[in-house]
Order: sequence, then structure tokens, then C-alpha cells
Amino acid sequence: MLHKIRHACAGGSSVELPAEMPEFPHYSDPVEKFRQELERVGGVFLDGRRSEELAGALGLVLKESDSTEIYWEGEELFQRHGISFTLRDPEAFAKGSLLYSFHFRHRVQFPIVLNSKPAERSDLARISLSASGARFGVAETGTVVHEVKAGRGRLLSLLPPAHLVFLSERDLLMNQAMLFLSMPPGQGSALTLVTGPSRTSDIERTLVVGVHGPEKLFVILTS
Amino acid sequence: MIKISANVQRALADETLQGNLRRAFVDTPHPRDEAVSEVPNWEELRRYARDVKAHTLSRLPEYLQSLEEKVLEQGGKVIWAETGQEAVQFILDLSHRRGVREVVKGKSMLSEEIHLNRALERAQIKPVETDLGEYVIQLAGEKPSHLVAPALHKSRKEIADLFVQKLGMAPTGDVLEIIATARKLLRHHFLTARMGITGVNFAVAETGTIVIVENEGNVGLSVSVPEIHIALMGIEKVIPRSRDLAVFLKLLIRSATGQKMTSYVNCLNGPRRSDELDGPQEFYLILVDNGRSKILADDFMRQSLSCIRCGACLDVCPVYQTIGGHAYGSTYQGPLGAMLTPLLTSVGEAPEHAFASSLCGACHEVCPVGIPIPQILLKLRERFQSERNQKAASLSLEKLAMQGWARVMCSPILYARLGRWARMLHKIFGKSGMGRLPIPLFSRWMKHRDLPALPPRSFRELYSSSQEVS
Repeated sequence: MLHKIRHACAGGSSVELPAEMPEFPHYSDPVEKFRQELERVGGVFLDGRRSEELAGALGLVLKESDSTEIYWEGEELFQRHGISFTLRDPEAFAKGSLLYSFHFRHRVQFPIVLNSKPAERSDLARISLSASGARFGVAETGTVVHEVKAGRGRLLSLLPPAHLVFLSERDLLMNQAMLFLSMPPGQGSALTLVTGPSRTSDIERTLVVGVHGPEKLFVILTS
Repeated sequence: MIKISANVQRALADETLQGNLRRAFVDTPHPRDEAVSEVPNWEELRRYARDVKAHTLSRLPEYLQSLEEKVLEQGGKVIWAETGQEAVQFILDLSHRRGVREVVKGKSMLSEEIHLNRALERAQIKPVETDLGEYVIQLAGEKPSHLVAPALHKSRKEIADLFVQKLGMAPTGDVLEIIATARKLLRHHFLTARMGITGVNFAVAETGTIVIVENEGNVGLSVSVPEIHIALMGIEKVIPRSRDLAVFLKLLIRSATGQKMTSYVNCLNGPRRSDELDGPQEFYLILVDNGRSKILADDFMRQSLSCIRCGACLDVCPVYQTIGGHAYGSTYQGPLGAMLTPLLTSVGEAPEHAFASSLCGACHEVCPVGIPIPQILLKLRERFQSERNQKAASLSLEKLAMQGWARVMCSPILYARLGRWARMLHKIFGKSGMGRLPIPLFSRWMKHRDLPALPPRSFRELYSSSQEVS
């Protein structure tokens, strides 16, 4: 078959790759642009760059998604995004497991006091709120980039009806061109660009949010 | 052989369809225009994409080999299928070996092209379409009528009725209710199916990355839950570098739905790694030729392989807007279907497709990769005609008429004189338009054409008199 294709190609004219990439937009305030674009597609933007705002942001996410628990993969997510917490029941926080969950019994106040609960992967299908850290954000389109790698999976950000993404301000890129230029050669098996909640326009081209993926998407920006 | 004319008559007489088409194209302005106009360097992006595609097609073997190498490095497998039948056979064999009884599918026009669902059903394997539009179409036992919105020809009410009848949904006119029903039923299929089959929007040669664009999350689930993922791609879908994706995604998404970005863009690099928590254990990329290398061999027609299947040409086409997608009788509809159907098969197999166009040029104008569709259609008509001329006697009435027409069109004096005569005849024979003239020689030609009433004075006469006044 390759031979046939080679043969078909042979007669044709040869064309060079264009030398320069077209310009992609830059923004004086990328955070503001990111917020606008995310909100335009129905996502919720929360500024958690100052630590005292973080607790409030988390509380809002829990309230809006009607949840009392957050599930996530990998143990470092909360620490990495500067969320300090104390555990009410440290033994139950199952170290060494791959899926973690916090149970919020009280109003979220800083410092957060958490009840931890051992979680199972079989819980995935009934989890109401999951969280993950974004590898990148893109201001141009309000996109967050979810990277699958060691100790992470694809489903946690897809199956639950609500998903929370932590995005570090230094990972916020201006535009799509910067994203694809700075994308590391794939270590993991999947990289997903997520822009707002799941939606469809298949019925009379009417936009409806929440089909197979999460119907609510929250992004908390951290510093 | 696919004939269109009978379908067209049927489509024009179908009042429900006409209403649905009107709602889709006349009553609601497509958001594309706005999405495109806010990009200041849109033309530059188009040129870039066109050149990248032309370059890639001119070196297709190299890029396909590089793609294969990278996919293999990541633990995936690559299957080369010269025909649709070969691709189908591979999927059937693999399903049998793995004991797969049900497949969840993402939207893939290529799978329509190779009639995969029919083959799966015959082999007692249940294909479940998971894109909402495709799901509706599958329930109705129909074919998609639009590349991007497969159920565009159906109204909300028709879909609701279908769900009531086939799925036992309580009657409702609420779109949310319809979607909740589909979501619930499909969730079950997602969690139990062992094989996911999807199409491919782009495949990056330098990294072996398969890119699939979607809004619903159904592709994400189809490539994450089942233990086997099969991606079907036409050989023309490969692009050289990751960075080109930035341009192609911008062009594709804005052209297709008028969004800046879809909810999900899945970039997949083979099966799950051993230290990842989920994802398919086996990943197969099927490279399908199915007539594409034949198109590639023609330097001019090759441009048609640049198509990124955004569907923009369908939305602006006056013919498509009037007859809908099913009338084309082929996998691909609209201007792109008129172009690709005879190219992928032959002009003998699809003799009318190239003629299902007014050549107005709107398709070329909106095409994000600048394919000169009208020129390609003209070339196809020429090809069709020369094949017919070879068969039939060279002297035909049509040829004589065309020669006479050419002579008149070449001479301003003759044209003006004949115009005058025609208007005189009109004055004598009929006041209110001539409708369908009962001229026996032209009866076949007149069957689908109306002759409008002629104005009392020609443009030239009006023009010269207005010159005199001023």
C-alpha cells in the first residue's frame, strides 16, 4: 500500500513547508482574558492566588456542585497548589493509595480542617465532584490542559458531573501556538484540552450543556 | 451507480424536511461568520494551512512512515488498509479474537464510508453510536445528513417522538429531557463496552499523536473506558508537526461550529502506560486508502485531499440548503460530497454529483484550507462529458445547441438581435412568464427548468437610455 501511495505521489509537484507560523494573539492581562473566555463557555473562574481566597473558592465549588467531598488522584495536588490543611483524622488519609478524597464536614475556612476518607477506584461512577491539576492553561480560549501521566488517569475528570481544576498562574500561556510549541513530547498516553463543560448542539443546533462529560467546570487559579 | 435527481424531487416535496432546512439555514444565522471575522489574520491562517496540506500530500509516504514509527514506539499498532473492506475485516477479526460483542463509537465519517456498522451487525457485534446526533440517526435507521451535525434534518419534535417510540421516554418537547435520556442510556454502554472505535481529525507525524475534536465527552469516554481503542483515519489526515495543530484547530473549530474551541480536544499517544490508572490496553491506528491514492496521483484533484471535514461548505451551499444531505445518496454531502464522491469512486459511479452545484463559489470562499471546489467540480464535469462523448456518437443535439449558443455568446450583435426576437416572441405568445414551454425537442431539458418572464427591455437598452438622460 505504501508503495502505491509513493507511486501516486511521485508525479506531483513538490511544495515546501511554510517558513513562518502565523501570529497568535497576545494579551496585556492574560488572567482577565482567560476568565472572560472560560465564563463565555459556561465555566466558573475563581481567583485563589491569595491564600485567604482559596478557602472561599473551595467552599463555593462545594456549594455549587452540591457536594461534600472532593476526589483527586496523586497525593500532592492540594499541597502543590498551596492549600494548607490539617487533617482531623490523619490515619484515615490512606497514603500509598492512588485515589484520595476529602470529606468536608464543616464550613470551609482557612486553615481547612478536613476529614479524610479512604476512596476506591470503583467509586468513580458515583463521585459528584473530582479535582485535578492542569498542566497548562490557555488565555486565548479559556482552555485548561489535562495531562495523563504516571499515577493519573483519564476518567476522573470525565465521569463526575462536576470537575474542579487547579491552574497555577505560571502555567497560564497566552495562546494555542504557545501551547503546542511548549508541549512536552508525550510521556503519558493522553493530553486533553478542556474548554468549558461538556455540551452539544445536535438538536436543532440549540446549545445544551452537560452531555457525557461534566456539566460543571470550575477553575481555581493559584499562584 | 448513485443517481441524485429522483432524491432531489423527493426532498423538495418533503415539507417537514424543507421546514427543518429552513430553520437550520434561514432562521438561524450560523455563528461561523462572527467567529471568523474576529480573527484578523484569518486569510494568513488559511494560506498557511493550505500550504502545509499541499506540502504534506506531496510527501505523504514519508509522513505516514514517520507516523507509523512513532505510534509503534508508544506501544500502539498500525494497520494499513488499502480498501474499506480490509479495514472492516481487521476490526471484525480483532473483535472475534477478543470476544467483543459491543462497540462504542465516536463520530467517524470514514466508518460510514466503509460501512462499518452494517458489517459489525452482520457479525452479531452491536455498534453503539455515542455522539448524540449519530445516536439519533442510528435509532432512526438513517444516515447522517451533515458532516458536523448528523441529525440536522430532524426537528426536536421528531427526535422526541423517536425517543418515545424506541426508548420508551415519556413524551416531552424539552431538549434537556431528551439529552438526559441519551446520557443515562449511553453511560451504561460506556461503562460496559470493551472496544471503542473513533475517527481521527489530525495525526501528527513527528509525535505519533492522534487528535480527536469533540464537544460532548463521548469520544473521551470511548477512548478511556474500553480496553481496546481503534482509530480509523484516511491517509490524508496526517500533518507534519505539533505546532501546526494550533492553526488547524483554530480553522477547523471556528469553521465547523463557530466556537473558539470545542469542549474537548483529545490528543492521544498510544495505549495506557503501565503506571497510568486507566485507558485502553491496546491501541490500533488503521490507515485507510480506499481510493485516496488514486486522487493523490492527479496533481490537480489532489487539492481535494486537503479537506479537514469542517462542513462549512455545506452550510453556505444553496444546493445543500435546499435539498439537504440525504439527497446526495452518498457518505459525504454538499459541495465536499459533490467533489469527493466521484473522486473516491469514479464519475461513472457518481455521474450527477459534480452537477449538483450552482458553481456560485461560496464553498471556496469559506473553505478554511482554500480548496477550489467549483474548479474541481468543473473538471469533473469535463471528465464526465468526455467519457460520455467517447461512448456516444459525437454529433448530438446538445452539442449542436451548445455550439450555436457559443456562437451567439461570442457576438454582441447577434446576442442583442436574438434577445430582441425572443422578447418579441414573448409579447406575442404569453404575458405572464412562459413557464414550461411545450417544445418537444427540449422537453427533457425543460423538465427541471422554468423559463422566467422576459422583461420588456434589455439591460443594454435600459443602460443606453439612462446614459442619454444623464
